[in-house]
Amino acid sequence: MNQDTIVVENLSYHYGKILAVDHISFRVARQEILGFLGPNGAGKSTTVKVLTGQLRLQEGRVTLLGMDIAHDIERVQARMGVCFEQPNLYEQMTALENLELFARLFSMKIFDGYALLKKVGLEGREKDRVANYSKGMKQRLMVARSLVNQAEILFLDEPTSGLDPVSADSIRNLILKERERGATVFLTTHDMWEADKLCDRVAFLNQGKIAAIDTPHTLKQQYGQRSLVVEISHDGQLEERTVTLDKAETPDAVRELFSHEKVVTVHSQEATLEDIFLKVTGQRLTL
Amino acid sequence: MNARLIMTLIKKDLTLFTRNQFYFIITIVGLVMYILMYFVMPKTMDETLKLGIYAPGMPAVENSLVSDHGIEAKTFGTIEELREAVMRNEYPAAIALPEDLLSKLATGQKPVVTIYFSSSAPEEMKGAIKALVNQLAYLVTEQQTPLEMRSEVLGPDLLGMQIPWRDRLIPMLAIMILGLEIMSLASLISTEVEQNTVKALLVTPLKLRHLFTAKAILGIGLSFIQVLLFIIVVGGLSHEPLTMMLVLLLGSILVTGLGFLIASLAHDMMGVTSWGMIATITFFIPAIGGMIPGILSGWAKVLPSYHLTDAISRLSNYGATINDIGSHLLIILGWSIAFAVIGITALRRRYT
Repeated sequence: MNQDTIVVENLSYHYGKILAVDHISFRVARQEILGFLGPNGAGKSTTVKVLTGQLRLQEGRVTLLGMDIAHDIERVQARMGVCFEQPNLYEQMTALENLELFARLFSMKIFDGYALLKKVGLEGREKDRVANYSKGMKQRLMVARSLVNQAEILFLDEPTSGLDPVSADSIRNLILKERERGATVFLTTHDMWEADKLCDRVAFLNQGKIAAIDTPHTLKQQYGQRSLVVEISHDGQLEERTVTLDKAETPDAVRELFSHEKVVTVHSQEATLEDIFLKVTGQRLTL
Repeated sequence: MNARLIMTLIKKDLTLFTRNQFYFIITIVGLVMYILMYFVMPKTMDETLKLGIYAPGMPAVENSLVSDHGIEAKTFGTIEELREAVMRNEYPAAIALPEDLLSKLATGQKPVVTIYFSSSAPEEMKGAIKALVNQLAYLVTEQQTPLEMRSEVLGPDLLGMQIPWRDRLIPMLAIMILGLEIMSLASLISTEVEQNTVKALLVTPLKLRHLFTAKAILGIGLSFIQVLLFIIVVGGLSHEPLTMMLVLLLGSILVTGLGFLIASLAHDMMGVTSWGMIATITFFIPAIGGMIPGILSGWAKVLPSYHLTDAISRLSNYGATINDIGSHLLIILGWSIAFAVIGITALRRRYT
């Protein structure tokens, strides 16, 4: 049964008189990766905090794994993993001790800390104190910690932040493997490329409201424009021409270019999520 | 309440405590130092008599006493200075000769000589000082002179109950051991907030009640074990051991409550150090005063540590029983609960 793992209905949250989250609703299916995108102050963190039980539900209804978090948050928390944006590890303990502590808190009967650390590329450094880790190593350990209880829902807040491209890629692969294992992933990120490659669907959050939610492909289809960028040589100078695709006049325009101009290079260009976010919300995602 | 979760947290905090060099070292070194301090203090009292003198217009008196073996005398300019020196226990006894001594003697009247004793002066000193006063009068008048002697004890009257210095140190050292734990516990809690590790804990099946219970057990346990170890080593359990253990347990609860309060006030390590220093120094005041009976002002009795100090002091040095210190126990318990409730309530507001 492919029951929705996360169901959010009319969720609102106020900090005093400030409305941080404004009646948002969405669903996330089992084994789906949902990217939650928005600029700073859009309400992403507040939404995650409410969903993970760090903030008390004020208004609306949230059901995780079929349980209402207003009543069953403790049971839900036993089945979720959370990776925070800022490292919050016990720095004076080793990486292994950090993981074993959380495994005990989650009552894991079988737990192999070494294997988990190997998965995130920290093999050989298991018994080093976290205080001696680099920022990237701490980030990888944060991801590992969110996986100790083989959670059914993973809340990952900027999991690849501060990582080098190779490490970031290995974490992305790990997220995909977790999805294959059966986990539902709620991913908060600023990295549009990452969201595009990793997420089944993305939600654009702006000023506490969901401006759009769909698959990256559909959003691009709906809001983006595909084009060809053609470089031509004209009187010894290089010039760039852009031909918009998916229009009635596109074939003629392309034919015209190739028959009358000296074409040097041709690139197809697709709208990015960043472009679409700008189009949908009128704001840039990365400020 | 999930005992397994609490034990997991306690184990984690013990690990962090032992790896925090500052608190671990001051705890271990402190404990060893306090025990050493106890044993290096004299077991017996010094036989030299320190004596304060107020003898207006009679310089011969001081000169004669200075040359006297076994007496260390000092003349004071006013009676108030003389009294204060005795109150501060700098002088166990002092003699105030009246200004009209010579004129009264000349007219055949009995001058009144006042002798001040500190509360810790031994009983046998009384007779010796009276004999000395007669000797002084003879020195001044060069004849046997009739004198009226009036004695006054400054501070609680403990004549005949002289206690070696090292035993007087017991309450103070015990209080210092407990006091240091205020900052250790506050630091363990505050670091959890400062480094946001508490957020990671609270998205697991662990709840705030588990967290506070674990911190409280660790705080009480660490302080109780340390102070009990100290009391055992210095022989403080020889009289009323169960009552003493009860007092120490309540003391440990008191400092744990204070630790919660400090953690709720402080937002980082600097805050813990600042608030902790204020709390610790205030906590120590009655302990220092307890060593020197009579110096504490009435306001110090408002401090919760006064009751703790007095209870330990009475049990270890004056043969008190649980009935004698019952009111202290209730007051310590009351303060402990108050501190813990205020601290936990404030921390709960910050965590949620």
